[in-house]
Amino acid sequence: MKPAQIAPARRPHPIVMVALLLGTASAAGVAAAADDAPASLQGLQQQLQQVQSALQQLSNENRELREHQAQLDRQLAELRAATAPAPNASALPSVTALPSAPPPANASALPSTAALPSTAALGPGATATPGTTGPGIYGTGLRLWGYGEVYYTDPTDDRRQAQADLARAVFGIGYQFDPRTEFNSEYEVEHAVASSTDVGEFEVEQFYVDRQLSDRVSVRGGLFLMPFGFLNEHHEPTNFYGVQRNFVETLIIPSTWREGGVSFHGDTPVGLTWNAGLTTGFDLSKWNFAPEFPPYANALELEDSGIAPLQATHQELALANARHLSQYLAVGYYGVPGLTLGAAISTGDAVPVPAPPNAAIPGNQRVTLWEAHARWAPARWDLQALYARGTLSNTALANQANPGSPNPIPAAFYGYYFQAAYELWRQGEYRLNPFARMERYNMGSSYQGTPGPVIPSGEVPLSGTPGDYGLWPQNHDRVWTVGANFYLGPHLVLKTDYQWFEENTHFNRWDLGLGLAF
Amino acid sequence: MRRSSPAVLAGWLLGSTLAGCGGGGSDSGAPRPAPTALSARATAGKALFFDASLSASGRQSCGTCHVPSRAFSADPATDHGLPVPLGGRNMDLPGFRHTPSLAYAALTPAFAIVAGVPRGGFFRDGRASSLAVQAQQPFVTRFEMANADAAEVRARLEASPATLQQFLDAFGEAVLSDPGATLAAIGEAIAAFESEAPEFAPFSSKYDAWLEGKAQLTAAEQSGLALFNDPAKGNCTACHPSELQGYSQHALFTDFTYDAVGVPRNWSIPPNLPTPRSPISGVPLDYVPAQQNVPAGAEYAYYDLGLCGPFDPPADDPNPRPVFTSPTSLCGLFKVPTLRNVAITAPYFHNGEFATLHAVLHWYVTRDINNNTGNNPTPVPAGPGGNPYFPAGTSYLTPTGTPDLYQYNDLPVQFDGNVNIGEVPYTPPAFAGGQAPTLSAAEIDDVVAFLCTLTDGFEPQNPAAYNVPAQCQPGAE
Repeated sequence: MKPAQIAPARRPHPIVMVALLLGTASAAGVAAAADDAPASLQGLQQQLQQVQSALQQLSNENRELREHQAQLDRQLAELRAATAPAPNASALPSVTALPSAPPPANASALPSTAALPSTAALGPGATATPGTTGPGIYGTGLRLWGYGEVYYTDPTDDRRQAQADLARAVFGIGYQFDPRTEFNSEYEVEHAVASSTDVGEFEVEQFYVDRQLSDRVSVRGGLFLMPFGFLNEHHEPTNFYGVQRNFVETLIIPSTWREGGVSFHGDTPVGLTWNAGLTTGFDLSKWNFAPEFPPYANALELEDSGIAPLQATHQELALANARHLSQYLAVGYYGVPGLTLGAAISTGDAVPVPAPPNAAIPGNQRVTLWEAHARWAPARWDLQALYARGTLSNTALANQANPGSPNPIPAAFYGYYFQAAYELWRQGEYRLNPFARMERYNMGSSYQGTPGPVIPSGEVPLSGTPGDYGLWPQNHDRVWTVGANFYLGPHLVLKTDYQWFEENTHFNRWDLGLGLAF
Repeated sequence: MRRSSPAVLAGWLLGSTLAGCGGGGSDSGAPRPAPTALSARATAGKALFFDASLSASGRQSCGTCHVPSRAFSADPATDHGLPVPLGGRNMDLPGFRHTPSLAYAALTPAFAIVAGVPRGGFFRDGRASSLAVQAQQPFVTRFEMANADAAEVRARLEASPATLQQFLDAFGEAVLSDPGATLAAIGEAIAAFESEAPEFAPFSSKYDAWLEGKAQLTAAEQSGLALFNDPAKGNCTACHPSELQGYSQHALFTDFTYDAVGVPRNWSIPPNLPTPRSPISGVPLDYVPAQQNVPAGAEYAYYDLGLCGPFDPPADDPNPRPVFTSPTSLCGLFKVPTLRNVAITAPYFHNGEFATLHAVLHWYVTRDINNNTGNNPTPVPAGPGGNPYFPAGTSYLTPTGTPDLYQYNDLPVQFDGNVNIGEVPYTPPAFAGGQAPTLSAAEIDDVVAFLCTLTDGFEPQNPAAYNVPAQCQPGAE
């Protein structure tokens, strides 16, 4: 989840905002008109009403701010009169410079006006940071938001493994220190109960401060989400199709991937965004060459096992080794309505695989991950594609020292997917968006120092429990998913899907989920 | 404030990141330090370790059982062929367990139960909290160095001038004023010796040289390591990890956990016999302990149950391990030993049941195939196309050589559930015709070849000088 970024200080004129909103609405409306003109007209009317309502609200806020400003001016004048000379008055933030909270910096970056109403209606992060565009709770600058998801998953080849889970319950706290400085944080409980004897986890997912440096450049420091792909920053359940996140953006891009560090980010008038930073990196000393049992026995465990190359080695700023740092650069383009293009790369030396003191070390082990993604939302369609690839260098000796391993360190891994969604039905706030996705992941497409993982053939023990047998899964697959998101408004979604696995065919499953974000 | 342009900021950022990460550097660690002189305590410990005059018999020291040339394990030739050491005032009293190797013992973590899993500690049952506490015990154990008490140990030390002088150099004369303090200091000195002397942790095997790029493993040795790691074949690494574990900068081939492997009862251990007597003098072994954890009606009177007895933590241990009378799930569990130098520390297991590594591996992969237990309802029959290792029948025997009533006969049948049957190689992959061993005879040869590379003393510049253990010679089995 990505909270709202610090936005340009320049305060848009209400008329400009109206024009933007109208433009966005009309773009969607015109596109939709080709299919259903009467419905589109009705939609336009609704949107116009929403715009008018927003305009009225802005006008009211503007009036209140002016009154508040006038009151402050009067109080300041009284203080000056009472205390002469005024101490450090010039050092105080100018009250008159206080702008109203600006809109999200890249609100137009999300093209999903047709497909994802929650995001489209509120802008990036705004779904989860409702206070961003207002004065905050009780006018204090404090903001709260949250999201979560509950699901049921049914491996149809082994229904004994059907599970239901409160996978995530997340709450966010933000605070705007001043018009240019904002704090955002998110706290997540995974699997409902977190204790030393339960499977759940409690974790800080984000914790950073954003400081605006100029109209179009901000600096960020702390623990933040890496700007890779579609999901990593925007993973609220209302923002993606399917009950579970796609495998490529789980196993290849290790969402929710966050690092500690500092970054600069901004945008340009032509719709180009950029984000570059220096962060903590990966820790290959955590690699497990010797899983005794298959690290996952079904699709759900595949996502949760943390066995994927970067899942297994990311540090999450938990006493993270900072001897080696990584750099990243992400760019995006949203200058054409309905189209989003993006790419990102991160590279840096990792904490190396432990080796005996006198072992020959060929060089630093570098982790590089890059991705490119595109999204196009013509009319009722929402089309997405993403490719991601990672490499790990100088792994030959580590793998040679662990022959026979079912889990050697790969030299390369990759994944890609194509996804198409269509708004089949809409009534009021209800929307039904069926979708289909084909994705391919390979957690070890090439290796150094070993031909590859030694995957046992036939059934092997799945645990230390006698009689618990199963197959050791392949670390690559092609997965087909069909399903639908049914929106009950911008904040609630019901989902269902079915997934077919071409390699690990026993992973096939049916899912049902409930997601919310506010 | 003055605002920088995005381009300037980006340039600064990239410049700083490159500057910040350009150095890189290796985390390979410092070269192995050159051996340094032993401390005064370790010097005294070395003298104490090898001083047989400190025993009641005058013929036994730490070093007579923990022989340096055998990785500080026992030399079977000195024990009349028994799998356990002989000691006592007349050197006629057998012990209970095979003498463990002291090589790398100083790297053992203290005993702890983490998430329900016991780990670490000294002796095969972890009952001593430190190497120093462990080292004290044989001095006052009746069937070992057999001093009656600490005062007798002190008296013998005072009668051994050379050792005494080094002891006093390290601890001063005051420590002699109290027998308990004297024995504790003896333990500390020996522990210092075992911790400091490089010969206890040389990491000088062919395997280490291979990791350092100074030697090549043969195809069989490479194959053996792969089979050792393969979770569906040897799966040895599950308990004897070849990965670094954090206890050392080198792999120790033990995770220091405890396991009940169900090894057959060794009738060559005199205390295991129905009427325990010394095989040397014929005296009754009246020190065989009573069995508080052996259930009523057990097949035999005495069992070695490892973590739950019969040996309790030493009374003078400052951090005593709990006495495990319950849960009984710990009965029969012994500490996983290191496999470094395993080719020269035969016989194997706590009871020394098997004389060779081949025999150990054969037994591992056929334990529940030959013996027709509930873990394997459809054993592979012997003969052509069947089990290639042993004739059909059990390796669990009575003193007379007949098949025993129960499998896992070195445990009361009530504790059979403690035996590990859930992991490879005990639990072999299932196939339509039943179950087959996870390793073939040829694969066992390869694993043994690899295990032989864990023997210290390999010199990369002079590999021909490697003292290849007898069971590692070509054609040996």
